[in-house]
Amino acid sequence: MSTEFNLISELQDKTLIIKTEGYINNAGGEKIVQELEKHTGVNKLILNLEKSKVVNSIGISHLIEVIEKLNQVNGKLIFTNLDPTIEKTFSIMGLFQFAGKADSIDSALK
Amino acid sequence: MEKNSLVEKLTLQSESFQEGFEILCKSFSFEEMTKNFLHLLRGNFISTRIHLFHKATKDSDWNSIQSQEKFSDADFSLLSLNSPTPIKYFNGEKYNAVVVLPLSDSSYLGILIGGKLDGSELNDFDKITLQILLQVFDSAHKSFINQKNEKKLIFELNEKVLQLNNLIDTGIELSKYENQTIIFELALGRIVILTNASSALISISDNKNVSLEKQITFPQNISPENILSSPHKTESSFDFNNKSYRLVISEKETRKGTTSFNDLDEMLLQAVSRQVRASLENDFLLKQSLEKERIEKELNLAAAIQQKIIPEKLPKIAGYQLAGINIPSREVGGDYYDCFDLGEDKYALIMADVAGKGISAALLVSTLNAALHAYLEFNLPLTDLADKLNKLIYKASPPDKYITFSIVVLESKSGTLDILNAGHNPALLLRKDGTLEQIEAGGIGLGMLDLGIPYSGQTLSMNSGDKLFLYTDGIPEAMNINEEEYSEQRMTNFFKENSERPVDEFIRLLVEDVKRYAGEAEQSDDITSMILKKL
Repeated sequence: MSTEFNLISELQDKTLIIKTEGYINNAGGEKIVQELEKHTGVNKLILNLEKSKVVNSIGISHLIEVIEKLNQVNGKLIFTNLDPTIEKTFSIMGLFQFAGKADSIDSALK
Repeated sequence: MEKNSLVEKLTLQSESFQEGFEILCKSFSFEEMTKNFLHLLRGNFISTRIHLFHKATKDSDWNSIQSQEKFSDADFSLLSLNSPTPIKYFNGEKYNAVVVLPLSDSSYLGILIGGKLDGSELNDFDKITLQILLQVFDSAHKSFINQKNEKKLIFELNEKVLQLNNLIDTGIELSKYENQTIIFELALGRIVILTNASSALISISDNKNVSLEKQITFPQNISPENILSSPHKTESSFDFNNKSYRLVISEKETRKGTTSFNDLDEMLLQAVSRQVRASLENDFLLKQSLEKERIEKELNLAAAIQQKIIPEKLPKIAGYQLAGINIPSREVGGDYYDCFDLGEDKYALIMADVAGKGISAALLVSTLNAALHAYLEFNLPLTDLADKLNKLIYKASPPDKYITFSIVVLESKSGTLDILNAGHNPALLLRKDGTLEQIEAGGIGLGMLDLGIPYSGQTLSMNSGDKLFLYTDGIPEAMNINEEEYSEQRMTNFFKENSERPVDEFIRLLVEDVKRYAGEAEQSDDITSMILKKL
């Protein structure tokens, strides 16, 4: 079933920047994990969710997987441009215990 | 090997076993754990021909781990679950040892250990080491499974908290918006989060589900048919304000694919459905309230306009007493009275009643008032005046609006009365001797028709002691709680019996009598009257 999810990515040294658009569900979450796996040596992932306003718990489980993969290489995930509802969701699910958040990609890159 | 030497070597290795355990425990996944275990085995047995396998359940096949090598059926047959011991040793065979280790999650780890690099067989130390390493792996795996279960439990608990929080927030968020499309889109976004649905739909149709008005989906690019044809869907519907609303969610997601919705999902869908309905009801009631407020403001404005038109006091006419009153009903009424001083001892007494109430009635009264101010200056014959007013009101009003109208022009010195009655209640002239005359000469109400039907007037003379009484239907048609009218008869009798009183007192007592009759019944129409007495 089509789920209207797209992403674009950009690698800057060992930092991978992913911008998503649409529903982060099972399919969307899988795409994010696959995008990370495409790039070896990444130790920082900046995930810009400006155009994703809805994330379900299956999508969140994929994001936790991303966090764990990055932890394996002492890397870190940083969320940026979060919608307040998603920020609250991530907070309740405990994601910010293991991932950072920033207002923008620029501030996440610093 | 000497026993002491064996103990000594194992003591030296104990630190290495501990490190191995810690490495295995830190593994991120089962695959990583087996990869690390393979390194441990190869390091300890100085062999590259060690292969690991995993069997997820008793009945599933063995899968090779971390190896590109092709294995034969004979190889797999060595990994028998029926062996009385987990470890079997062989001498001079392809493999020196075969292990089938049952794991705590009901899966199995298989190990084939080939010859060592130096070609030697496994000695006692190797055999003890293997047993210890298997214990280490089993313990690490149990720890891994416990951690995994703990994480799953924490995730599920957080998910429940999230669901509860989302449900509360959904109600709050939905109540913030008036735009129905925003309400529906928000509800769809929330319900897919709450139930892990792949997609959702709101369908709006008329009450009989005949005419489809609107369909909104989440995600937006999914067709409603796609959602409705799903084998895994559930729905909730409600009717409100002559429309049917149907909320459908489809394809509950899991990490392994999609499945059917459970009872909790259905409860959550119904909860969101109720919240959407409450939001629509609130919006509807708010709009009704605002509309009521708007109408009340307009009515107040209309009442203010009308109060400016109704005279605060009537002119004093030498040799006469004149009094009048207008008591509007709760709504803005359409009654109007006035007395214009035309100069040269002439006065025009006006009594009018617009069909209907409210803003349009007030506007017509205002139009009549303005027209009278304009036309009365020209001293037109009353029939011409009535004709002009009829044409004007006909053009200025909708078909169902007209004005019943009485005009009496008094020449005060002579007592001459020119009277014209355009569809209004007849003026009553009570002579000093008690004779009552009803003056009905006139024509149709102003604005009823524009067919050129001529009006006719009547001229009378008013003598000392005569009284002229003008009124609107709000007096004879005032009703009590039994819906019985005050009546023309009762009003006429009151007029006859009280006409000798001063005009102000007469008006006050008349109003009191009408109100006394009506009792607790609400005043349904304006009460307007005017009395002229020649002294």
